[in-house]
Amino acid sequence: MTRALRSFVIATGIAALVAAPTTAQERSATKQGFDLPANSAKRILVFRPSVRVGAQSTGGMFEPNADWTDKATRNIAASLTKLQSTLGNTVVTAPEAYGDDAQTLQEHMALFAAVSDAVIQYQFFKGNRLPTKKRDNKADVFDWSLGTGVASLPGAKDADYGLFIYNRDAYGSTGRKVLQVLAALGPGLAVKSGEHLGYAGLVDLRTGDLLWLNADAAMGGDVRDAEGSEKRVRQLLEDFPGSTIRATADQPAADPPVAAPRPDTVAAPR
Amino acid sequence: MTAMKTTAIRWAVIVGTIAAAITPIAARATDPVLPPPYAGVYQPQGVDEIGLWHDDDDDEHALAASPLVIRDEKLTAYVKRVLCDTVGDDRCAPIRIYIIREPAFNASMSPNGTMRVLSGLFLRVRNDSEFGAVLGHEFGHFESRHTLAAFKGRRSGTDLLAWTALLASVAPSYGMARSYDDLRYSVYGSIFRHGRDQEREADRLGIAYLNHSHFRPQSASVMWHTVMAEAEASARAKGLKKPNFKTIAFTASHPPEAERAHYLAALAAPDDAGRADGADRYRAALAPWMPVFLDDQIKLNDFGGSDYLIENLAETGWTAPLWLARGDLYRTRGAQRDYANAATFYANAIDLDPTLAPAFRGLGLTLVKTGRTTEGQDALRRYLALSPTAPGAKLVRMMVPQGTNP
Repeated sequence: MTRALRSFVIATGIAALVAAPTTAQERSATKQGFDLPANSAKRILVFRPSVRVGAQSTGGMFEPNADWTDKATRNIAASLTKLQSTLGNTVVTAPEAYGDDAQTLQEHMALFAAVSDAVIQYQFFKGNRLPTKKRDNKADVFDWSLGTGVASLPGAKDADYGLFIYNRDAYGSTGRKVLQVLAALGPGLAVKSGEHLGYAGLVDLRTGDLLWLNADAAMGGDVRDAEGSEKRVRQLLEDFPGSTIRATADQPAADPPVAAPRPDTVAAPR
Repeated sequence: MTAMKTTAIRWAVIVGTIAAAITPIAARATDPVLPPPYAGVYQPQGVDEIGLWHDDDDDEHALAASPLVIRDEKLTAYVKRVLCDTVGDDRCAPIRIYIIREPAFNASMSPNGTMRVLSGLFLRVRNDSEFGAVLGHEFGHFESRHTLAAFKGRRSGTDLLAWTALLASVAPSYGMARSYDDLRYSVYGSIFRHGRDQEREADRLGIAYLNHSHFRPQSASVMWHTVMAEAEASARAKGLKKPNFKTIAFTASHPPEAERAHYLAALAAPDDAGRADGADRYRAALAPWMPVFLDDQIKLNDFGGSDYLIENLAETGWTAPLWLARGDLYRTRGAQRDYANAATFYANAIDLDPTLAPAFRGLGLTLVKTGRTTEGQDALRRYLALSPTAPGAKLVRMMVPQGTNP
């Protein structure tokens, strides 16, 4: 039945040749009063990054690609270690969890995903923001927490902060790119090819407070190779507290269209 | 244009395969259907399938640590046993079973060989044969690699729509817009129809496994009659119109129940109707969990459906947990008229098992509600004596006069 539901969601969403209107792409926030001076030699526990890489079919469906996903997972982990060490922090990979620990970890991963979704939806980007969160934005308040339960996560005792990373990339297939060009040349419609979402969050492993969150709906860097991954991780960490990292170039698209410039809005086909 | 042509061709191929898939079901075979020979352990092939399996591996990683999973080795081993008895030991060996606590009638199998069984399924089947029929059907989806085929079908359909949307917008006229709309609905329709045809194919494989096993294949059809009867009972109790089990909605994910019951009965090997259905083994394996699952079902607030399920399970003999569940069902609906019935059901439960603490609690609460306070308090005292540390014990103690506590 899950399959059926999924197909229904997809079928109803197909009309999305027509993509959602493009809103602000990138946003980050730091908890008030939190500061991490450079070279403070903190230990950062990295939880299993959620990485999913695939292609975007002509009709806009996500096509999972195991090889790309595996490569991206390895590349991102390597770049992360490299960049954090330039910040003077030590990156520790969260140990494999078993039994009850695995369940607690799983629940916290899901909790982090839910909380960061809420931040992105209701505080960060225009469209669906809550009045209270808009007020918070004006007052520069960023107050979210996963609760003190994080202190019991495997590996939390020996680290100061926890880092969660989420990445989802869909590279436009050849068909999608051709469609994009023809749609731009013919009826002048803007079709989006490729989708590159990412967010990273830093959590205090004592209090569970969300200290920093960076979300970007149009990330750069091709995560399938080492160089591109480093650029991606740079972008994820560019506003990291105490960070001296800057994204190398201001190129929003990791997946440039074949010919036409990347359009920002898309119109319905009729 | 090339891309468009390939899409069109791919689409034609899909439609062709669908037609091919339906035909064998429509034609009633004279011999009982049997499963194809076992082809050995399967590994995914091609970028799409490997990608789907990779995603599924991640899902399973999360599922294995999910708080929703019932981690009872005995129950899981029993489910695996029934699956193996149905599809054969060689086929079932690589399958992982996860029992999820959710009071709904479903089970599923995903591309990499993860089988999810929802706890609500256990109330809708009454023996190994009916249970095996469901597991065999799900395994059929896995063996026929339906997720992959469905994925490819959806992709072809949406690709086709993308191109035609483009063509329609090049020549923006009323006629074009209408043709595009027509095509859109026909593509959505084919995606749903493809899904239903996969269900029919899985049904056919499921019954083939049953024919080949030592279970009674006629049970598959019986189970669908149970499902229809439950839906009817549920609608009746709510005063709703009788559900229609024959029509197919545009977005229906499965063929209608009546159709399934009909062709499953026709495909079952007639000579095997006398086989044992394995009701005893089923009851024994589920005994520790039945009260929990029944309790989850009662909390769905579906009086007619729940009452039907309890009576259906009691067809082979009432047990104390079944009477208790029925008492709880009536007591929690909570009309004054329900308490009289509930008291009787609790009393029946106590007759069969005089140590069933929750039955005394239910009986006590019910009697107090109907004004028989003294008898009610006696029952509550008995409950506290039987389970003094129960979570609700403190609350119950407040309902019993001070100084007379056990």
